[in-house]
Order: sequence, then structure tokens, then C-alpha cells
Amino acid sequence: MKAYRQLIKGLWEENPIFRLVLGMCPTLAVTTSVENSIGMGIAATFVLVSSNAVIASIRRLIPRKVRIPCFIVVIATFVTIVELVMEGYANKLHGSLGIFIPLIVVNCIILGRAEAFASKNGLLLSIADGIGMGIGFTLGLVVLGACREVLGAGTITVWGDLKFQVHSMAPMILMIVAPGGFIALGCLLALMNHVQTVLARRQGRSFTPPAHLDCRHCTICKFGD
Amino acid sequence: MVFVLSLICAASGLLMALVYDVTEAPIAEARLHKKDDAISKVLPPHDNDPATTTNTVEYGGEKWTFYMATKAGKYVGAACESISQEGYGGDIRVMVGITVDDKVYGIEVLSDHKETPGLGAQISQDTFCAQFADKPIGSTTWSVAKDGGDIDGVTAATISSRAVVSAVRAAAVDVYMNNKDAVYAEEVSE
Repeated sequence: MKAYRQLIKGLWEENPIFRLVLGMCPTLAVTTSVENSIGMGIAATFVLVSSNAVIASIRRLIPRKVRIPCFIVVIATFVTIVELVMEGYANKLHGSLGIFIPLIVVNCIILGRAEAFASKNGLLLSIADGIGMGIGFTLGLVVLGACREVLGAGTITVWGDLKFQVHSMAPMILMIVAPGGFIALGCLLALMNHVQTVLARRQGRSFTPPAHLDCRHCTICKFGD
Repeated sequence: MVFVLSLICAASGLLMALVYDVTEAPIAEARLHKKDDAISKVLPPHDNDPATTTNTVEYGGEKWTFYMATKAGKYVGAACESISQEGYGGDIRVMVGITVDDKVYGIEVLSDHKETPGLGAQISQDTFCAQFADKPIGSTTWSVAKDGGDIDGVTAATISSRAVVSAVRAAAVDVYMNNKDAVYAEEVSE
């Protein structure tokens, strides 16, 4: 039951992209297509689960003073493994994700989960946390990738040749270049906050973000109160 | 403290060495495969392995490797990789295939370019690349239509289109036409 809670919190309540707003570099850079989003999501999930598992099981051995270097070594190891495997067996994807695979090392979601969760909790809970966060990250990327690809290219590319033509209007190229990433992400964040505010109002209370999430500096969800 | 960190590093090094050992062969194969595919695509039907049948030409202080296609023991075409440094986002590598009767058979823009997605990146699509097919090298003006040439550039991506055309021109007009004897030399180095 406890593990199940850890598993689902990443989907909505603590979604890494839309609630924690972490790991923005790969989020903005690779979400030009659904295929890239899925690839990045799977790679990050693998690293997240493996590093969480290893760190949780050796957490008592790690001296407090050098815990960050230890976490980074563990994370970097798994990232290198992902990169090697991907280049060998999914070369096309490796080509399109490029530099963002090695950069998973500095993705703050992964170090964040290691520091905030895996170093304080047991193996099973940490794996559940890794899977939940990973799936939440992947879903966030896919949603963002789908919005950008539909608007910017008019297609949805699920994997390789599994591709759907959604519309044949002249695509809005802005959406698949870098500024489009910011625009799409901003709109989605606003939409999510709006939905939460409306839901909260229906229940007769004003929406307040959970205090343990670092979004106190942002007041967008209080707008219109 | 030092001991634990060293231990973790040693363990991770060992793990990476193991994974590297397993993936080394597939990675090498995937890299080779990419090039092989491009070579085969731009050459006319052949019955040899052009990737291992090469002739080298020296021109302008540079070495150009031509991948030779043969059918029934006779040359039918040659392909070579040409790099343009005039791309919008760095180098663009183009594989250019030429037939024995001095026509471009086909070109393939290798996928490791960094052109703008949706704009310049369209240079690797068939709609742009297909127009190079069957163009006689001698009687074609090798520049984009905007500069008075015979190639229609990608709309809003003139820089990228120019880069591809200039890569093709360098390979086909400059190197190939001036060194035909060397390209179709009798000896085939295996």
C-alpha cells in the first residue's frame, strides 16, 4: 500500500514536469516529437529506477559528507550504460536524442530523488518511487511532445514507422523549435493549474499548493481569487 | 570516506567495462550499417559490396574515397561522401552517387546534420533529394534556383539547400569530372 502510494504520486500530485517543474533542459529540448519523448522517458526511467535501487541499498555505507559525489557516480554509471546500449541497439533514436542522453546525469529529477527519497527510504519504496516518477516524467514528456508535434509537424510519430498524419494544414514550425517548447510548456502548466483551481473551487475551497512542493514563489494558481 | 567513494567508483568502472564489452560489436556494426545503407541507396543496381570496393582520388590536397559499384565485373557507378561546411548548423555530410555515363544517380544527406528541425532539416527528405536524380553532371547548373541554378531549394532554407548543392558540386563536378580515370581505375582495392 505504501509502495503503491509512492508509485502513483509521480503521475499527478508530484509530477516531475508539471508539479515539481524539474528537469526542464531535456523536457524543452527533446519534446519535438512523441518518439523522442518516449525514448527520453524510457532512458530516464531506467536510470531513475536503477540509481534509486542502488542508492537505497547502499545508503547506510555512504558517508554524509561525500553523498553527492557517490550519487553522481552511481547515476553516471547507469547513464553510460543507457548510452552504450542505445547506440548499439537503437541507433536512430540515439542520433535524435544526441547530447541529451549523457546529460541525464545532471537531470535534477534523478539526483533529486536520490537525495530526497532513496537515501532515506528502503529498497522497495525507492524502486516504487523511481518507477512512479519515471512514468510521470515520461507521460509529461509525451503530452508535451504530442502537442508540439501535432502543431509543428501535423503528425504523431509513436515509434519508427508507426506514424499518424493528424492534419495536413501547413505546420506551425515555431512549435518544434526551441521557443515553441517554452510556449507549449507554459500553456500546459497554466492549464494544469487552472484545472486544479476549478476543481478546488467546486469543492468550495481555494486551491493551495502542498507546502512541501517548491512552488510557493509562484502565484499563478491564486490568480482570480 | 575515501574508501567508500573509491569502492563505488571501482564497482561502477567494472560494471561499465562489462557493458562496453557486450555493446562494442553492435555499436561498430550500427555505425558501419548507417554508411553502407547510404552508399547502396545512391548507387545504381549492383552485385558487389561497394563499401569494401574503394578507389581513392587525390584532388585539391584532399583524399576522396569513391565506393565503386560493379555489375557482372563492370563498373556501373561510384559514390563518394562530400562534406559541406556551409550548413546553417555546422557540417552537412552528403553521399553522392554517380553513374558511369556521368549522371548523378542519387544523393543521400546523412542524418547527423544539425539543421533547424522543420526548416533546414527538410534537406534530408526525398522531396528535395529526388530532384538530383538523373541530372547530367556536365549540363546542369549546380546551384539553387534562387542563384540561377537548376536545383529548387527548400523554401525558407536557402542556406541549407546551398550547402547540399555545393557538396554535390564539389564531389561531382570538381572531383569526379576531373579525375574520371582515377575513379574508374582498373585495380579494385578490396
